Amino acid sequence: MERKIPLPMLILAILGFCYLLFPILVVVLAGLTTGEFLTFPPKGLSLRWVISFLNSEKYLSAFFFSFKLALMTMIVSTILGTAVALFIARSRFVGRTALRAFFLSPVVLPGVVVGFALYAFFITSGLGISRTIWGLWIGHILYSTPYVIGTVGASLATFDVSLEEAARSLGASPMRAFRKITFPNIAQGIQAGSIFAFIVSFGQFEVSLFLSAPNSEPLPIAMYNSLRYKFEPDAAAAGIFAITLVIASVLLTNRLVNIRRLLERQDG
Amino acid sequence: MVYVEFSTISKHFGTSVAVADLDLQIEQGEFFSLLGPSGCGKSTTLRMLAGFVKPTTGQIRVNGRNVTALPPEARDIGIVFQNYAIFPHMTVFDNIAFGLVERKLPRAEIKQKVDAALAEVGMTGFEDRYERELSGGQKQRVALARVLVIEPEILLLDEPLSALDKKMREEMKYWIKNIQKSVGITTIYVTHDQSEALTMSDRIAVMDQGRVLQIGTPVEIYEQPASRFIAEFIGESNLLDGTALDVHGAVCSIDIDGTTVTGRLTQNNAAIKGQAVTLLVRPEMIRLHSLDASEKPKLNGTVREIIYQGSVVRYRIQIGHQHVMVEVANRPDLARLDLDDDVEVYWNADSGVAIP
Repeated sequence: MERKIPLPMLILAILGFCYLLFPILVVVLAGLTTGEFLTFPPKGLSLRWVISFLNSEKYLSAFFFSFKLALMTMIVSTILGTAVALFIARSRFVGRTALRAFFLSPVVLPGVVVGFALYAFFITSGLGISRTIWGLWIGHILYSTPYVIGTVGASLATFDVSLEEAARSLGASPMRAFRKITFPNIAQGIQAGSIFAFIVSFGQFEVSLFLSAPNSEPLPIAMYNSLRYKFEPDAAAAGIFAITLVIASVLLTNRLVNIRRLLERQDG
Repeated sequence: MVYVEFSTISKHFGTSVAVADLDLQIEQGEFFSLLGPSGCGKSTTLRMLAGFVKPTTGQIRVNGRNVTALPPEARDIGIVFQNYAIFPHMTVFDNIAFGLVERKLPRAEIKQKVDAALAEVGMTGFEDRYERELSGGQKQRVALARVLVIEPEILLLDEPLSALDKKMREEMKYWIKNIQKSVGITTIYVTHDQSEALTMSDRIAVMDQGRVLQIGTPVEIYEQPASRFIAEFIGESNLLDGTALDVHGAVCSIDIDGTTVTGRLTQNNAAIKGQAVTLLVRPEMIRLHSLDASEKPKLNGTVREIIYQGSVVRYRIQIGHQHVMVEVANRPDLARLDLDDDVEVYWNADSGVAIP
């Protein structure tokens, strides 16, 4: 077989791959241990802690809470982020690049800063949403939306505006031209952005640390709180489920998009 | 009958003026070209007519209707873009059907019209193709079919040939013109290519820096350019500097380095006795072999360069301190000249045009 990549590059690629996969391996194996404590390498393999996770009221509710929160965040972030990206791409005014940088700033700012700033604002403004689901939701949307702006912005950069103009002059209203021409052509960017928003929200820790309500904790906070007091492997088992969910959501959306493509072809 | 009318249209982008006080009247069924260098305002003019750009001042009327404030979808105008703008996520059939679907035509009628449009542009059998499976010329045909199928009031073509290779461009030039003629649709064609404009147009408006410099038929634009800029932009020109000696109606006698020649004055041009004028003579209008001994003007020159091009031979002739390019048909009865040969330069009195 012909090798396309030079050998040193190939070795580096393999090393990088291992480096990225190692933490996942650690979490999965640690969650499958038979021992009493969180160790690596694990002492024997069993489903003991996985079953413990499934029976744990605390982890299970945290897992589903995170799932719901990520889903809700994804929906709002996708709509908001797409609108902002369209606005930035389509309007011509001075300070457009500045505005773009501003909208992306939550990505650059440390999560601790964003979380703390929102917490301070919620407390002092008397809105009554500090340490509530609503406040947490707002924080997650703020943190996830820039990812959508980024991916949708990238797909809009390669989208040819004359396609939309052609649709307009063929009789389509601005709304219909967007729905029938622009949207299908930037759908991949929107889809990628929404997956990002979901994953970012699901794994969010710093913002949640400041904003989550005591009785409804997202999974990362629940894991953190649990590990502070006892070093039990059910946290790692929870990690296994988190990883599975993220991988499943990526695979699922990929599959959904392919099915949509398939239907479109047959329809035409 | 005036079909499209621009009245004192101007467009400012911030402080820069893209189009200034434009007045244009385009006849029904006419093939009208906007010709000019890039940045001359021709595309902005087209986009204002299509409804993508709002004019700063003025009014646009189409078929008696004021369309200035109408959005593109309410204008009934078909536009073919430079890059064709074929919808990449739709088949050729769906692309052409798009405007009909927007007009909510019944399915059977759409099918019938699309089939007819495909046949008209010679693309039958390509219904299920996608944009990425088409060549440049095929995209061009689909783009034109997509527009013609809705039977718009006006057809706008924005540099539709510039993305094609030279051979295809030649072919499509005649093809588009023939389709336009057979459909009889009022067409406005934007181009920076003077040969496209000359070949295809009924009339041409030459634009520069947001203004129309001259409007006329291809013959008028080529043979009676109103200014030095137009003469240089359209075709190849020999421009000889001289002084106006005398003006008799439409004839102006000009002194060029001590030899008196005559130039025609067109209705666009005026010359004033004693002032500098430029004499335009096209390379193919000049002869180096007299057909008639009495022929005038006659200037003495020397061959400085010979460019052999097969069907024609081009000579650069020095006359005094000025130079002219001369294009001579490569015929056995016309003797071939050599470098540094002294020659006599003639042209028909009508072929010289005086430009102020």
